[in-house]
Parts: sequence; structure tokens; C-alpha cells
Amino acid sequence: MQFYFPIAEMSLNALLLLGLGGGVGFLSGMFGVGGGFLMTPLLIFIGLPPAVAVGTEANQVVAASVSGALAHWRRGNVDIKMGVVLLIGGFIGSTMGVVLFTWLRQLGQIDLVISICYVTFLGIVGSLMVVESARALMRNRPAPGSAGRKLHQHTWLHGLPFKMRFRRSKLYISALLPLGIGVFVGVLSAIMGVGGGFIMVPAMIYLLGMPTAMVVGTSLFQIIFVTANVTFLQSVNNQTVDVMIALLLVLGSVIGAQFGTMVGARLRGEQLRALLGLIVLAVAIRVGWDLVAMPAELYSLGLIGGLS
Amino acid sequence: MRRALVIGAACAGIAAAALAVAQAARPLIADLSSKQIKISTGFTGAQLLLFGSTDGAGDVVVVVRGPRRDEVVRRKERTGGIWINGRSIEFGGVPAYYHVASSRPLGAFANRNTLMEYRIGVATLNLPALSAAPDDLVREFRTALIRLKREGKLYSESPGGVTVMDGRLFRTEITFPATVPTGTYSAEVYLFRQGEPVGRSLTPITVRKVGLEAAIFEFAHRHAAIYGILAVIIALLAGWTAGVIFRRS
Repeated sequence: MQFYFPIAEMSLNALLLLGLGGGVGFLSGMFGVGGGFLMTPLLIFIGLPPAVAVGTEANQVVAASVSGALAHWRRGNVDIKMGVVLLIGGFIGSTMGVVLFTWLRQLGQIDLVISICYVTFLGIVGSLMVVESARALMRNRPAPGSAGRKLHQHTWLHGLPFKMRFRRSKLYISALLPLGIGVFVGVLSAIMGVGGGFIMVPAMIYLLGMPTAMVVGTSLFQIIFVTANVTFLQSVNNQTVDVMIALLLVLGSVIGAQFGTMVGARLRGEQLRALLGLIVLAVAIRVGWDLVAMPAELYSLGLIGGLS
Repeated sequence: MRRALVIGAACAGIAAAALAVAQAARPLIADLSSKQIKISTGFTGAQLLLFGSTDGAGDVVVVVRGPRRDEVVRRKERTGGIWINGRSIEFGGVPAYYHVASSRPLGAFANRNTLMEYRIGVATLNLPALSAAPDDLVREFRTALIRLKREGKLYSESPGGVTVMDGRLFRTEITFPATVPTGTYSAEVYLFRQGEPVGRSLTPITVRKVGLEAAIFEFAHRHAAIYGILAVIIALLAGWTAGVIFRRS
């Protein structure tokens, strides 16, 4: 089932792509994550040029987040106002990110920056998840919500200007905060080829203090627009979005996610988070290992101004 | 049936006569099984048959050259504990593809200077550095370039790859890997006698994308903005469809 993909300019096994989509889809259905952080390194691993992997994966995340956001929308778990502020930041960030990406690619350092981003952010998020869920598992029961607890702690972040009321999330905070988070995750989204949910979700819970029920739906809602922006800009600037590969991945992941959701429903929240944390850490270690280990091949070829 | 045989015999006669005329005029004629390589959905590389005849004994060399372009060789260097792309050298006029097949090893019938003159053999390729760098470093990077091209099956040498029959007819198979770049290639055939080329033929080969693949590639590069918008719309539709199916099950 070898197919020639004209944007990637190489032939790949279509069944392998479907399988990758299925496997990552299974995990994303199980954990309720986008899976971009797994898919992009896997695509690079099977030989796709990193630039094509990132551009194509952004395209796939558009599809994955639409179907996810739709499900949350039906349950009323999307805070549109918050989502719009986040996505304005996301547009700014992802546009900056694609410009940065194009520049780094010309310098020949895009592979390095992609790897460092993966190691840093997956390393931090994975460690936090593992530690947090290990603690929860040791307590052996869900953390009790104490009666007199404040909705969230007040810090200097709440002294920022341009306060805005977000009714659905029951928040009255500075618009600069979600805007800033949007910009930051937007940059990462463009460089790493991910939706950025793994940073966005904790940021919404711990920095914004949003109710957990609203977090995933709102995050997915804004990811649609940010990854759509990345897909568009990568197509225009770098011609590195392979729609054919993206479609095969989507097809696989849709099927995989069905099974993943069924398995995920049988596991407890802490167990899921611990497992996801371990997978995230494993990816970080794998990518990190390639950075520090002596490469088998020291030299690489590139067309001047072409794919890395 | 008989008529068909007669026509067949006549045709063979004409072909033989044409061959004789051509041979009288030129010491060497050659042709390819196809002058086009079409990259389509199922493309996993291609094989062409190059064949022809000579007006007598001699050594036949086939050289296939791909389009020339500028390429950059990068070397990973250890900096602060991690391996990053450090030094890089750009080389000009690098053939994207280069293949030599000959009836005997090159050194057996031509001397070094002649081979250099006609750029026959991977070692004779002129790959000038465009970046300023010390000579020994340029040599090191050039060696790496050639090695990587060889590993990618884009550069190859096949001494003995040309089969000669009856001292007159010759044939060779030319293999192109799946990663063969598009562009205009040339297939040169030389007939060597007493260390000198006495006959030469040149046939161009076109490598191009065809069908849906070509259309997508062209579209992505010529109308990048529309391609981007369509990519987004396709993904939105795919995601929406998946969402609807999800709800039903």
C-alpha cells in the first residue's frame, strides 16, 4: 500500500499512516487529549521532513478538535467569550510562530528548536502530571472539595487592567491573562505542530481558575481556530501541509478514538492522568535522547531554500 | 495469416535496413524504453532499459545526470551536551542524480584525464563549494555529500552494468529510487576505443509528477493561499462528519 505523497515528496505506506492515526486516536479518545504531541514526533520518526510533519499535523488537529469541540458544545461546556479572547491571542501567537518557523528553517535549525520545545514542555507537563496523580492515588480517593474554599487564589495576576466578566466561567479577570496564554500557546502550536491542549488546559485551571467542566470544551474550541490559522500560514509560507496524509491520519484517529473512549470510561481519573503523564514523559525522554546521543549520521543534505 | 507474416517480414527488413543506414552514419545509436518517468500515486521508483548498437567492438559507458542545483551539507556538532547543526557548506551545480554503467571497470579502458574531461565516474564530479571554508573541510563535506547521495541510491556506479552481445548490441537497466527529484535528466552513451570516445549519443529523460499528485503539488505551490483555505475546510468537514458519527454510535 505504498503511496506517493506529493507535498512530502516521498512514498509512504497508507496502512502505516492509518495505523498511526488509529493508535494516537485511541490514546486521545482515552485521555481526552488532541494527540498532536504524540503524532508529530511519530511522523518525524517514520521519515517525514520535520517541517512537513508539523504543518500536516496542525491540519489533522483541526479535524480532531472540531469533533471534540462539537461534543462539548452539545453539553454546553464551551465558554465562547473566553474562547474568543484566547483565540485572539492564539492568532497573534501562531502567526508569530509561523514567521519564526520559516526563519529557523532557513537557518537550518528548525529540527533542533522543535526537539527542544518537545523536551522542555512535555518534560515539565509530564512530570507535573505524574507527581500530581501519584499523590492523588496515594490518598486513594478523589481530593475532597473543602467547603469554605475560595474559587481561586488571588495573586498579582488579578491586579492587571482590562478586567472582563466571563459569565459561563464565573470569572472576573483581566483579559490580558487569557490573551497572553493564547499568544504563548499559539507560538508553541506553530512550532510543535500541536493543538497545545496539554499546556492550555493546566493554564486555564491553575492560572485562570476556570471551572474544570468548561476547560476542555473551551480549549478545543479555540484550538480549532489556532490550528486552522497555522495550517493556512504553513501552506502559504512553507507549502508543508500534506492534505492527503492529514486525511489518512484523521480517518485512523476517528476509528481509534471510539475504542479509546470506551477504555477510558472504565479507568479512574487519577489512573488516566498518571498513565498520560508517563506517556508524555516517555515522548520527552525519547526526543531528548536523540539530542544528547551521538547521532548515527553526522551529516545531512538539504536543498538551499528547500525542505530540511 | 500468410499476409501478416509477409508484412511482418517486410517490417523486419525495413528495420534492419534502417539500422544498417544509421550504423553507416554513426558509430553508436542508443534508445530508451521510455523518455519519461511519471511520478503518480503508486510511484516507488522506476527502471528504464537503455539499449542500442555499435558499429563494432569497443567499450560502452552510460552516464545519466539529473538536474543541477545548489545543495547544502550540514554537520552536527556537540554544543553544550546536545548535537546541533553546526558548520554547513553549500555546493553549487550538484547533480540531483548521477549514474554510471559501463561494460568494464572505467579504469580498464580510459585514463584518468579522459574520464575527468567527460566527467565520467562519481569521483570526477565537479562540486565547487560556494561557501568560504578551508580546503580540507570542503573535501570532508564533499565526501559526506557523495556518501549520502550514494546511500540514498541517487549516485551510483555499475562497472559491468552494460551488457554487450556479439560485440555490437548493448543494454543496461537504469534504476531511479522513489525519492528521485523531478526535472530534466540526460542519458549519455559513449563508445570508447583505444582510450578515446569515438561515438556519443545523448537522450533527454523527463521526470515529472502526473495526475492527481502533479495537480496537488502545482496547486499547493501556485495557489498556496487557496490550498491553505481548502486544507482547513476539508479538515473542518472531516471533523464535523466524525462528530456526527460519534453521536450516533
